[in-house]
Amino acid sequence: MAATASGAERKVLEEEFKWLLREEVHVVLRQLQDILKEASKRFTLPIGAIDGQMKQENFILGSSTMDQVKGVLTLQGDALCQADVNLKMPRTNQLLHFAFREDKQWKMQQIQDARNHVNQAIYLLTNRDEKYQFQTGSEVLKLMDAVMLQLTRARNRLTTPASLTLPEIASSSLTKMFTPALPGDILVNFYINLNKLCLLVYQLHALQPNSTKNFRPAGSSVMHNPGSMLEYNNQRFEVSHVQKVECVVPWLNDALLFFTVALQLCQQLKDKISVFSSYWNFSPY
Amino acid sequence: MTMKNTVQAVALWSEQAPSHSITAIMITDDQQTIVTGSLEGQICLWNLSVDLKISSRAILFGHTSSVTCLAKARDFAKQPFVVSGTENGEMCVWNVTNGQCIENAMLPYRHTSISYYHSSFRMTGEGWLLCCGQYQDVLIIDAKTLEVLHTLKSQSSDWIICMCIVHSTRIQEDSLVAISVTGDLKLWDLSSSINSIEEKRNVYETESKSLELRNCQAVRFCTYTERLLLIICSDCWKIFDYCDFSILGTEANSSGQSFAGGEFLAANRLILWTECGHGSIYQLVNSGLSKVIYPADGGMLKETVTPQLLCCTNVAENKSFSYVMGFLNERKEPFYKILFSGDACGRISFWHIPDVPVSKFDGSPKEIPIAVTSTLQDNFNRYNSTPEGIIGHFYAAVTSSLYIPSLDKLVCGCEDGKIIVTFALHAIRARLLDDHSLLRGSLPHRVFEGHNGCVTCLLYPHTESDQFDPNWLVSGCQDSSVILWDVFTGEILQNFTFQAGPVLKLLVPPAGYKTKVHLSVCCVCSDHSVALLHLQQRLCLLHARKHLFPVKMIKWHPVEDVLIVGCEDDSVYVWEIETDILCKMEFQTYIQRHYLYRQQYRHTGTLERYETGEMAKAILTSCEDSRALMTDSVLFVFQDVQRVKSPSYKTSSSYKLGTLSYTLAHPEKSSVKSTDTRQSQSPFAILPVKTKWTSMNFHVLLFDLEKLLEYLLLSQVNGLKSINSFHSYDAVKSAKSSTEKRTLTLKRNKTAGSLYQMNGQAKNASDQSISMENNIVKSLEEGSVIKRQKKKSSKKASIPASTKIDINIICDTAKLLLSCLFPWGVDKELDNLCIKHLGILRLQYPVSFGLVSNESHVSLMLPGWNHANYDAAKEHTLKNLFSKKVMDLSNKYINVIQSGEKNTGNGTVGTEIIIHLLGKIFFVSRMIKIPVGSEQIGRNNSRQKLEPFRNKGKNSENFTSSFPALYGVSQQNRHKFHFHDTDHTSLEKLISSWRDQSVEVIEAVQAVLLAEVQRSTKTLRRTSISKHPDTKVKNRMREAHPLPEPDKTEELELQCLKDIPVKTSLTLETHDNSSKSAVFQEAENVPDKHVSEEAESADDVKPTPWMSKVCFCKVC
Repeated sequence: MAATASGAERKVLEEEFKWLLREEVHVVLRQLQDILKEASKRFTLPIGAIDGQMKQENFILGSSTMDQVKGVLTLQGDALCQADVNLKMPRTNQLLHFAFREDKQWKMQQIQDARNHVNQAIYLLTNRDEKYQFQTGSEVLKLMDAVMLQLTRARNRLTTPASLTLPEIASSSLTKMFTPALPGDILVNFYINLNKLCLLVYQLHALQPNSTKNFRPAGSSVMHNPGSMLEYNNQRFEVSHVQKVECVVPWLNDALLFFTVALQLCQQLKDKISVFSSYWNFSPY
Repeated sequence: MTMKNTVQAVALWSEQAPSHSITAIMITDDQQTIVTGSLEGQICLWNLSVDLKISSRAILFGHTSSVTCLAKARDFAKQPFVVSGTENGEMCVWNVTNGQCIENAMLPYRHTSISYYHSSFRMTGEGWLLCCGQYQDVLIIDAKTLEVLHTLKSQSSDWIICMCIVHSTRIQEDSLVAISVTGDLKLWDLSSSINSIEEKRNVYETESKSLELRNCQAVRFCTYTERLLLIICSDCWKIFDYCDFSILGTEANSSGQSFAGGEFLAANRLILWTECGHGSIYQLVNSGLSKVIYPADGGMLKETVTPQLLCCTNVAENKSFSYVMGFLNERKEPFYKILFSGDACGRISFWHIPDVPVSKFDGSPKEIPIAVTSTLQDNFNRYNSTPEGIIGHFYAAVTSSLYIPSLDKLVCGCEDGKIIVTFALHAIRARLLDDHSLLRGSLPHRVFEGHNGCVTCLLYPHTESDQFDPNWLVSGCQDSSVILWDVFTGEILQNFTFQAGPVLKLLVPPAGYKTKVHLSVCCVCSDHSVALLHLQQRLCLLHARKHLFPVKMIKWHPVEDVLIVGCEDDSVYVWEIETDILCKMEFQTYIQRHYLYRQQYRHTGTLERYETGEMAKAILTSCEDSRALMTDSVLFVFQDVQRVKSPSYKTSSSYKLGTLSYTLAHPEKSSVKSTDTRQSQSPFAILPVKTKWTSMNFHVLLFDLEKLLEYLLLSQVNGLKSINSFHSYDAVKSAKSSTEKRTLTLKRNKTAGSLYQMNGQAKNASDQSISMENNIVKSLEEGSVIKRQKKKSSKKASIPASTKIDINIICDTAKLLLSCLFPWGVDKELDNLCIKHLGILRLQYPVSFGLVSNESHVSLMLPGWNHANYDAAKEHTLKNLFSKKVMDLSNKYINVIQSGEKNTGNGTVGTEIIIHLLGKIFFVSRMIKIPVGSEQIGRNNSRQKLEPFRNKGKNSENFTSSFPALYGVSQQNRHKFHFHDTDHTSLEKLISSWRDQSVEVIEAVQAVLLAEVQRSTKTLRRTSISKHPDTKVKNRMREAHPLPEPDKTEELELQCLKDIPVKTSLTLETHDNSSKSAVFQEAENVPDKHVSEEAESADDVKPTPWMSKVCFCKVC
């Protein structure tokens, strides 16, 4: 195909490739930048806000199947600034209520990382506007690779919550943020899964030291099932109940959509460039 | 660790330099080396001479993704180590003097900046690497182990994008200044927190201030005033007062280029550089100190500094993009200030910065020209004296190549669609050596014509799995066609054509897979589609074309006929493989999941499932062991080769007995070290390497020294005085009864023609070593006979051993290696002697060697590596000397081993000397690489072991008496190895002293080779004058001299020699003697250690019957 391409054909192709670098690439980059800026806006950056005060959003976390746990979370950018958790103990039906201490807020690292990755991607695209002339195809490919890397990471941060071991959850400073303090047999964890803000509440019961039960500490997981065991502060526990409540965060949904679209756009641009590569016999194009 | 000790790599560069888009650059503290990291993942070391000449030295392979940062990793004067971090979290510590990988780690962190911090009096260990990047806060990583020690925490954690260590004598405290992605400045105490960090207590920042800066690029502390802090953002730079972080001055970006970094030149001068490679020097007109001197301002934030542009640097005409730059102040001597940059095209540029930069008279900025600039390609053009591809100039450029170890064939696909098949060793010899007998035009080869476009990939499936017909060769083309060839005849068996863009990759499904993909290969095209081609039925089973993103991974479901394709966007596609159009219903249950859709294609392939996120991961992990990765990176190629080299371990059950013949090891040994890559079938391999963005780049030749020796010695032992030494060898290697083997070998010796039959017998026999040895002694013609026979038999299901170790090939390989190592041009006369008597040939140009640090880290010397070693005038005379040190070392070596010894290195036929030389090289390279501690243990153990043998030398049943054991077993059995080497005490001492002086392996090897060649040729000259046919006389003479340590090998040679004319009936007798002799020699060598000069020492130990048998004359 390439080898048989005639001289005239080659010339046309070369012209087409030049056009691609000069015009088409910029069209795509423009589009890409618009999409990413939209995505970035969703993360409400602290800088640039007029009064320095970010918008607060309340989310009511619930589950359709059970009503033992209810949570009202307030998200301010990447931080959970308020949290109210109502917990109905399964056996005693006792109601417990915890809230964040006034002076504390909890950073949602997943949101923070996703935001930072998007901003990195945007930064890579600055100074690459119509004034900038791409010299080679590989320059575009390299730029796209760098952008795609950031976008993939941004998306992965939201789609893959950290898997933690139970002792990690227990020792997390999150447990110390509540007032009244969480009882020793309750563990909580917040995370983002795709477009949802999730709250996990574990109820533990202590294992007797002379228990005949085979103690097997659980490994890392996003969610631990009842029966998982842990050793913390020299005491052994078993998870008796797990409650998960969640709430869709609309702007996370948007952001994920933007990431996916942007990634596809990047890949399409790469594919366009690559088509021409075959006519340059795999040499740097 | 074992395998790498014995592998010697040689790089064959092509005219095109590997692409190296610089993403990180640094100059080492001694200012002699530039280190660059690239987008492709490689690291380059460049020599920087005093007069600012740049020449490439080595390229380091090991990282699988782009390098993001480089930093020194030790006190450079003590240990010249540099650390690199990559996009995917790999970290690696390199020794920049020899390119060795000291330590490597994979962490889930992407660093953008690393700073080495060490406080000798407060800190234990080798110091810390303070790292920041795309994660919260600052990580402290141990510089030695690369483990995360601790985190410098922050009240409001966020990514840190730049940082700098502030070391101030005035403040008496080392601090870390860092700026977060949101523009917060944070300050951690370092020196006073060392204890807390070592005790793993939480350390928070001491100060934090929001500066509201966006896109910060760098932060710098002024060491001249110890007062100013320079913060560079992409659109401006600002000067702050370090005491209270009040702003003193600011300058916006006027050029439209983003600032990337900067540095203080002096108390009131600074240099800034941009992403586009421009530098500018500013004068701070009003010193920032004024505010402090006049505190009357009341701390008002008044801008007190006005910058004035003095000079600009000029960018080269060949414009690139994304520059990374640095500034080197106070170059030791002569006193230069240098601004340096590296760009995406791989160009390094230097600018001299004048000590007192001034603007032009009219006040406009003065332009500073580039002082020196260089790229890898420049170096290749200048120093790579054979700018042709691996097969020379006959054909168009080689775009893909493949080495078939079992056939010793090199297959090259060319730009014009031709495929050329040659003998690998011939091709390499023709390429490297100044070989008159091998006229370059007459390189035997075969041309396959069939493709219309450039050949993009090649696959010889038989190497991957025995199930495939050894005749099959598969090639992919740019025009989206795949051809199945008969590799022996060049016949096109099938031509598959897709409309899917260039074929990117051909893969073989894992061997354990039994059902439909049996005997099929996978083909990945550039439109991201995957085709499954059944080679036996000549059928395309599936063409999966839904993938939106490049294919990253292909997996096979172990039970069901399902192909799982993982794409780069982390989505997963599950394809049903069907040979018939009817869709199977049992899949319906498998399908009941979300995100599911089916789409029927014309006749091939049904998409069963499409998944993203967690589910995708789960699917991929569910078939963990049945995968084939799409790998472009060189690293994987290296790992690949090791896999290829040890195919017998992949799926031991599926291998026929015949294939077991490549393993020399015991069954139990092999099971223990099943991952040991050492068990290669061939001591020689060619590894084609492709780097990102470019077509065919270069080839790496891998010589396995140990294997080479093993085979050579085995062939010696076998071929010349076979039965007995074979027996003794076998006694060491296995406890099996040797009668059968003996008859086998006897037969073979008598009737070379019945080899194939022998091979059949060997297959039946359960002992691998027999068949292995049979294979070894096959000569070239015999090999081809087998080949033909195999072709016939291959039509029947089972295939006999695919590997034939051909002794001629082994021997040529050994000579090739020696040719590469020999320091040509040092001594003309010696060169000629070598060519005449040793059969090693002059090199056409200096060879680039490689250093294999471990299974995934390799450094290769680049053309021009030798340029810095001597001045240009002398260069053409000193042709292949690794460094000036070599001569020195060589002389030392001669002095050490010459103690009392004169009659060694008899002028025998090439092979023995070559074995001897290889043995020496092997010994030396191992010695140098063994860490001090383990070697000590080995020595102690061997001393203990030695005792009983000294006393009862005759009871040597389990003692290794023949050389295969000596060198071959050594790997598994270090103690044994050292046992043999204890007699080398003086030599050992010398070499361990070399090791302590950090003499590089290659230097030592070359020095020893030079010395040994000098010795052997000396005697060669002598023996050619006077030949003594009387063995006894010679032996007496020999008796008079205590055996010098290196004689072990020679002794074998002697024995071998002697046995040449001896009939088989005699050999039994000689065997006994020879096995004893080795023992005696060992015993004798113990005193030798203490009194190396005393002639009587030999007699003290034993009356030596072997002496009467040994002859070192080559004619008797």
